[in-house]
Amino acid sequence: MSVPSAEAPVLTAHRAGLVGCRSCGRVWPEAETTCNRCGSTLVPPDRRCLNAVWAWLAAGFVFYIPANLFPMLKTSTFGGLRGNSEATILGGVVELMHYGNYGVAAIVFLASIVVPIGKFIAISWLALVAGRPATVQAAHKRLRLYEVVEFIGRWSMIDVFIVAILSALVQLGFVASIHPGPAAVSFALSVAFTMLSAQSFDPRLIWRGLPLRSRKDHE
Amino acid sequence: MTDRPSPERSDAPLKPADPLRKPAARAVRAGLPLIWLVPIAALVVTLGVGWNAIASRGTLISVAFKDATGITPGETALKFREITVGKVESVRFTEDLQQVLVNMRVDKDLAPYIDRDAQFWIVRPQVSAQGISRLDTVLTGAFVEGFWDDKPDEPQSRFQGLDRPPLTSFGQEGTWIVLSTERSRGMTEGAPVMFRGLPVGQMQNLRLSEDDESVLADVFIAAPHDGRLTTSTVFWDTSGFSVSLGAQGLSLNVNSLASVLQGGAEFATLTSGGAPVEDGHVFTLQPDEATARTNLFSDEAQALRLTMRIGESVKGLETGANVQFMGLTVGRVTDLAARVATDAEGREHVEQEVTLAITPARLGLPGDTTSEQALDFLSGQVRSGLRARVASAGFFGTSLQVELVELADAAPAELDRAGQPYPVIPSVPGEISDFSETAQGFLTRVGNLPIEEALKSVTDMMNSVTAIASSEDTRAIPGALRGTLEDAQAAAGEIRQVTTELRESGAVGQLRRMVDEAAAAAEAVKLAAADVPAMVDQIDAAAVKIEAVDYAAIGTEAEGILRDVRALLGTEDAEQLPRNLSETLKSASGLLNDLRDGNAAGSLNNALASASTAAQDVSDAAKRLPQLSARLEALAARADAVIAAYGDRSSFNTETINLMREMRRAANAFGSLARTIERNPQAFILGR
Repeated sequence: MSVPSAEAPVLTAHRAGLVGCRSCGRVWPEAETTCNRCGSTLVPPDRRCLNAVWAWLAAGFVFYIPANLFPMLKTSTFGGLRGNSEATILGGVVELMHYGNYGVAAIVFLASIVVPIGKFIAISWLALVAGRPATVQAAHKRLRLYEVVEFIGRWSMIDVFIVAILSALVQLGFVASIHPGPAAVSFALSVAFTMLSAQSFDPRLIWRGLPLRSRKDHE
Repeated sequence: MTDRPSPERSDAPLKPADPLRKPAARAVRAGLPLIWLVPIAALVVTLGVGWNAIASRGTLISVAFKDATGITPGETALKFREITVGKVESVRFTEDLQQVLVNMRVDKDLAPYIDRDAQFWIVRPQVSAQGISRLDTVLTGAFVEGFWDDKPDEPQSRFQGLDRPPLTSFGQEGTWIVLSTERSRGMTEGAPVMFRGLPVGQMQNLRLSEDDESVLADVFIAAPHDGRLTTSTVFWDTSGFSVSLGAQGLSLNVNSLASVLQGGAEFATLTSGGAPVEDGHVFTLQPDEATARTNLFSDEAQALRLTMRIGESVKGLETGANVQFMGLTVGRVTDLAARVATDAEGREHVEQEVTLAITPARLGLPGDTTSEQALDFLSGQVRSGLRARVASAGFFGTSLQVELVELADAAPAELDRAGQPYPVIPSVPGEISDFSETAQGFLTRVGNLPIEEALKSVTDMMNSVTAIASSEDTRAIPGALRGTLEDAQAAAGEIRQVTTELRESGAVGQLRRMVDEAAAAAEAVKLAAADVPAMVDQIDAAAVKIEAVDYAAIGTEAEGILRDVRALLGTEDAEQLPRNLSETLKSASGLLNDLRDGNAAGSLNNALASASTAAQDVSDAAKRLPQLSARLEALAARADAVIAAYGDRSSFNTETINLMREMRRAANAFGSLARTIERNPQAFILGR
């Protein structure tokens, strides 16, 4: 009965009375407070961290709104005589499509719109379902999703990089110049907060919802 | 609940540690405010930024333009003094689709100044007679420019844009005046207004007056120069070039090329004493400088307007014709119109309505006389016989003018102050000596001539002449006349001959002396006979003595003398001389009587003095008489032919009518030529 098998419930560190280090992954008895291998503080997984997740996520979402409403790039041609154009993220995508650069438009659209919104949804869902009952397969899916979110989160900064590079390169004085708009800062903050949100999510919580016995599933 | 292990499995190795539960829940409760400060701060910051953005967005104004050429929403800038202060956000149509509404976001700090007097226009490159401007907008695209003053007023959000940029640049000091003229000749948008040839202003906003029939233009005179304007300033048109032919010769006046191309006006203050002008003062644009200098109508807008109604033709009366009062030009005709009027009997007839603009100051009234006072004055004048009438003017009398004349015998009339549109001044029929009418009158007189009677009498005369010429008596005249004249000539020749002989011989004097001596001798004989007794005595004594004397010798001598005397008296000449003389005298006196009886005594006395010359002439004339009669005959024949032609009524009439028509047409053409020449003398030079 107590021998773990494929049919048996997954033995988590928590259930084993152990606590895992989030830095190096080594498990220690629950009584330990610092990891003797990497020196980081050992925090037992609890739902308190979900507050931080929600808070960072909210902050990221708040900054995501002005990031889309304010202009990302301020372009002035001929010293402003020809006109100052201000492009928001979505406006830039539309403009790129208008000029036929569908590939670039797709990349910008993915990196600036799809990915951040996907991240918001993914993190929200993960935080919602954290600790809820789940099958082993569901728990694995959640973990994979979490890893993808964490991996892809940094690539959202591609927009910010583009703006930074453009405004550094295109300073042709009178003829043309590009300056970052207020949306660039907002977007960078938004990405940063969502990354923090993803980081403050404790993936160990995914496993907390696993059934204690596998039999239960079958009964 | 799943976390909580069941009591029977509390000793199982998988049992989680109980004490960890509660601190976690507490920690959750305790950590809630701290971490949630981050999104709250983010929200606050975002809201702040958003609010800031919305608050600093500026004010939305919309300007209506006729079209939106070159305006791109989101790009086109609104500029104030060449600085971008706003941006076009959107463009849409007005509800009636007649105009384009350009919505613009204006910087917040400037919004309070955009009030009622703000003006907006679209700046585009412009090519005009004065040059090319705003070429920069070719590169940068059009933009909306606005101007407003520095006094904040109640802000407004809906404006009407100008069709073209205003001519005056921003906030330029100066005076706006209004130029009024009959025609827009020489007036174009942006045409320069010059002072002594220097452009000091521009005209714009050409429009038709709402009050009367003139064309108005706003003129802006820039600041230092507007001080030269007074109420007595005159403006005249300098457009094009003028050619005038006068006593001083041909004068060609060409202004600057810009003036030729786009017109322009010039002004001068010719008389002193004018008051400074206010904005909106109305000046009259005179057609040329000469007119301006002679016609000092300072202000036609304040002129007194009168209507006169004329029932007759006013051909030749034109707008701008002078109105004269006692030989002075006191106004001008500003409008001519016809209207249907109903007279006292209810009949409808068309009459001319002539609008006069009269300057009260020119009537001799003080300069500040109001229209009412001037009307009062005129009413009084009308009561004492002032009437308006049309009179001839100009070189050929082809153009007309209006005269205000005092007619003592005029029928009483009143100035109709209630007349519409202007007070009606009573009029009398004009004194028109229209050239064409004169020509027509001449033709009428020619037509009225008794040509038929004249021709008839001529025919009669010719007939009698023919009759006289062809009669036998008349034909005999030359022969008889010749005979008479020959006789006269012969007589005269004889007389001359006798006279000559007498003069040559001196016989007359001797004869007279001889007769005298004879008479004396006879007297002496008679005296002697009276003394006969004594004489006898003496003779006796003498006889005694004679007896003593040689009687024989004396007797011989006496006998000889007597013989000589008898011989002299016995000659035929002596016998004939007294008879001849008496005949000559008789005929001379008869001739004189005859001549006196014929009524040409004076002249013929002279003629008689040179009787021989006259006789010679008469003889010559007599020689020509046959020719004369031949000529008379030919004339009669011709007259016959004329009469014959006249007999053919149709052809003669046609010819006559054609002739009359030609003459009338020629007269008309001459009249119109005269009028044309008078109106534009340059036609002489240009040939059209």
